Parts: sequence; C-alpha cells; structure tokens
Amino acid sequence: MAKTQYYVPVGPIHPALKEPIRVEAKVEGERIVDVDVKRGFAHRGIEYMGMKRNAIQTLYLSERICGICSISHPYAFVIGSEKALGIEAPPRAQYIRTIIAELERIHSHILWLGVVAHEMGFDSLLFWTWKGREKVLDILELLTGNRINYSVFMIGGVRRDITESQAKAVRDMINYYRIFTEEMKDVFLADPVYKARTRGVAQLSRDMAKKLNVCGPVARAAGLRMDVRQDTPYDAYADIDVRAIVPQDIVGEARGDAYDITLVRIYEIEQSLDIIEFCLDNMPEGKIMAIPNYVALLAKIRRSEGEGIGMHEAPRGEVIHYFKYGNKRDGPVVWKVIAPSYNNINTWGPLLLGAEVADIPIVVAYIDPCMCCNDRVAVVRDENGRLIDPATLHLKAVEKTRKLREELGVRE
Amino acid sequence: MREPMSAEEVLKRLQEALGEALLSHEVREYTMGVRRKRTYQELWIEIDPKAFRRAVEVMFELDYPHLHFITGEDDGGDFLRMVYSFGLFWAVPWGELSVTMRFNLPKDNLVLPTITDMMPGAETNEREIREMLGVEFEGLKNKRHLFLPDDWPEGKYPWRKDEYGVEDMVKHTHKSVNEIRRGE
Repeated sequence: MAKTQYYVPVGPIHPALKEPIRVEAKVEGERIVDVDVKRGFAHRGIEYMGMKRNAIQTLYLSERICGICSISHPYAFVIGSEKALGIEAPPRAQYIRTIIAELERIHSHILWLGVVAHEMGFDSLLFWTWKGREKVLDILELLTGNRINYSVFMIGGVRRDITESQAKAVRDMINYYRIFTEEMKDVFLADPVYKARTRGVAQLSRDMAKKLNVCGPVARAAGLRMDVRQDTPYDAYADIDVRAIVPQDIVGEARGDAYDITLVRIYEIEQSLDIIEFCLDNMPEGKIMAIPNYVALLAKIRRSEGEGIGMHEAPRGEVIHYFKYGNKRDGPVVWKVIAPSYNNINTWGPLLLGAEVADIPIVVAYIDPCMCCNDRVAVVRDENGRLIDPATLHLKAVEKTRKLREELGVRE
Repeated sequence: MREPMSAEEVLKRLQEALGEALLSHEVREYTMGVRRKRTYQELWIEIDPKAFRRAVEVMFELDYPHLHFITGEDDGGDFLRMVYSFGLFWAVPWGELSVTMRFNLPKDNLVLPTITDMMPGAETNEREIREMLGVEFEGLKNKRHLFLPDDWPEGKYPWRKDEYGVEDMVKHTHKSVNEIRRGE
C-alpha cells in the first residue's frame, strides 16, 4: 500500500509556540519527510527606525528588539558604538555592565529550562524553575529599577552605580543560586525520564553546526568551543579567563542533542555566578560615565566618522551590531543587527527531517528561539482592557521598586 | 582547528591572491581589560567586487570562517556598498580575527556569486539581502522571501533609498499591498 503524505502546519499561532513563526511539515505516518520554516510575521523594521533617530534614542530602541535578554542588544550597541567613535568606558562601568549581563544570563537560562520542561509535559518543573528565577529578577530590578528593559547602559558607561548594600544583596543571591544549580543538576541531568526524553533528540553534529553557522549554547553543545567572551573579550571579561563550556569537558563527549544543551546551560549558570563574584570582589573605583553630558555626547557623535562591529555573547548566542557613523548625523547611518536566533533557526530544517511529529516541540524549543529578536511591539492593558499610557506605567514601576527595596532592606 | 594567524599574515595571503584587486586595507587594534591589558586585531579591507569570490575562498583556505553578517548600504547614488564580515580562528582564546570586506557594487549590475555552496548557513543572510536590497545571488537555491510576505510587490526593496525604495508605499500605508499592485 502506498504511503499517503500529510501536511502538518504548525503556527504562526500555536500553543507550542510563544511567538509567531510557521513550521510546515510534510509527514508520512509519524515521520517528517519535508520541512519549510517561514518567519517575518511581525517584522518591525527597527533597523530602519534606528537610522532616523539619534544614537541615544536608538540605544533604547535596540533594547526593545528582544523581550527576554533586553541587555544583549544594548551591550552589543555600546561596544560597537564605542569602537566606531573611539570612546572608552570607565573601568567601574565596565564591571557593572558585566555583572548585569551575567545576571541576565542566569535568568534567561532558567527561563529556558522551565520552557523546555513545559514542552515535554513536566509542568511542575516549569513552576519550580520559574519560582527560582524570581530571585534574579528582583536583584535586576533592585540594581536598575526595572524588571525587564533595564535602560541602564549608555555609550561610554552606565547610568546607575552599584552601592555597597546592593552588592550585599547580590552576594546573598549568589549563595541562593549555588544551591539552586545543584538542585537543578539533580532534577534535570540525573533524572532518568528527562534523560530518556532528550538523549539523541535534536542531534546536531559538530560539522553540521559549523556549516549552519550556529552560535551560542547550540554550537557549544555540539562541541564547538566558541564564545565571544573568550574569542574577543571585552569589558571585565578581558580580566577573567572565561572558557567556553563544552560537554566533552564535563561528560567526556559531545553529542549535540537536547540533553547536552541542558547540560551546557546549567553549567553556564555556575560560570556566571563565578564571574559576578569576581566582579564584585575586584570592582574598581571611579566614575561610571565617560561623557556624562548627553548633549556633549551627541555633539561628539555628530563630529565623528567611523565604522565598528560590536559583539556580545548573549544567553542564546552572539549578538552582532554593525555601525557606521558620519554624514554629520548624531545617529548611525547604517545599523545592522544579527540576533542569535537568526542563524540558530537554520537548524530546524535538517533536524526535523526524519524526526517524529512528537519531537517538533523539543526541536523547536531546544535552540531557545527568539522570534522578536528577528522581527515586535508590546502593549500593556489594564484590567478593563484599556491601554496604559507610559506615564502611568512608569509610576507603577517606581512604586514597585520602592516596595521591593523596603522588603530587601536596601535603603539607598 | 588551525593555529591563529595575525592580521598582517592574513593580509599578506589576501594580497598574494588578489593583487591589484585589494584596493586598501586597515589593521585595527583594540586594547581591552582593566587590570590586565591585552589586544586583539581586526582587519578591514576594501576590494574590487570582481575579486569577491576569490577573497572568500582564501579565507576558507585559512580556516573555516564564522560568518558574522552581510549587509549593504544605499545612499541613493549609483552604487550599493556591500559589507561582509567573517570571523577567522574562532574558538581560540583571544584568537579570533574579524575580517570585514567592503566593496561598491554598481546598481546596473547587482549580481554576486553565492557563498552558500561553501557555507550553507549563509542562506538566511543572502535571502535577506536579496529581498531588502535587490542583489541577485548566482547559485542561491532557495529564493523565497525571508521576512517580506510572499505577495510583496516586485521591484520594491525596503532598504533602497532610490526609486526602487518604498517611499511611495509609505505614503499609501492605508492601502493593502494588492491595491498598490493593481495601481489603485
């Protein structure tokens, strides 16, 4: 009997997907025989908008590219701009930037672990990991004033200092996560059910990872020792010998499957804790902004000409921003953004071929795809369905931060 | 993984292979670190568009590169300014060398050879440049739109700032794409 082929479209709106993307699979029985991925359902043209604004406005626009790792894009932005404009951030600011970036890595990795547990049907794990994640979100809010979209980076520095009592709260958090990571190793890596469900699923060979140009934890799980913090270090990473975490160093071999990527992410949380601790212990004194006056900064940009590439190792992989300043403009003339998912989504086609329909959610979730990095706009509504204006939203945020400071016993 | 080479050595190899076609070059050094200063290099070159394929081949001979990005700039003139950036000798601490090549592509002949035969992962980048700037890649197999919808009007490129750009479409944002295509 000839086999009939069926066409299974997943997305752009589907419970297994958090954001709009479409995976069109052709199946024979349970096997997938052909895949096509369609993206761009919510393309906002942010790069084009950025080329019409000044550099400081564009910096905060870049923060809106991604909703989860909202520091990754501003980080690459400031590094690229500083290279193009010849500005150097003060040492203290460099350390503060690194601390915030690593805090964000912890929250993003724990978020992913929850999501992947959810995709496999372990919902109690999802609630447990996300409860553990609240602690780092509180610390980020304490340091920057915002739970997400921190608005703390600036070309040539940062906008907020870390005080002594804040540093103490961060140290308490490190102790909390040292225990939490050990628990996660037990729950995820040592669990036979989790192992059975992820070993050999979404397996990416080293050669294929190289050819598909993937980056971040996906590449490292396949055994490639690539990490921007190690290859071209910047800020405080240059003082710390950051080494890429690959499964062959931990379990002896790299298979590049969903289990290996969980392993890489959990060990990276530990690495982040070490980096934050180093930064707190060795924090230099001094100012936090190279050019504190924004008018003077914009005037300098208007006089400058140059190109620069900023790279930052975001939790999901490398974020690359290319800049060209000139034409007597105070904003970038050319701005090109590459987000990690831009390349990592390439893996879906080859990995889904020959896989089973039940593996689609794991293959889709395992690279931690971020559609909004590729293409988004967020609106906030109140309980009556009305849009909340920015001023009210700002007021609510300030009130919440004050309450949090009182609870954590931090005065300044 | 091969031994990392300095920017000067890579430049020498490119000069031997490209000769006159390598129009200008610049080696940039960035010093990083607070307590311990170390430097890494970046190589920026300007080439003739005819030598583009050869330049990429030289890089593949040295090491399998990591493609950072492909982008292009249109200032409304007769040329598109293309920028290709590769990372060589990655996976080595302080060893990655970023090689950025730039060239002016004349608008009356917007054709470039594809690099997807050497690096399949470059397909996304090439498809984006194709739909946004109108550059045709010879040998690119999948030519479907990446971000733009399938019924996007032909001959309109969002990043172009000349008559092929979308200025007139922005004025008619209340109209649907189909209405614009029908000329209403």
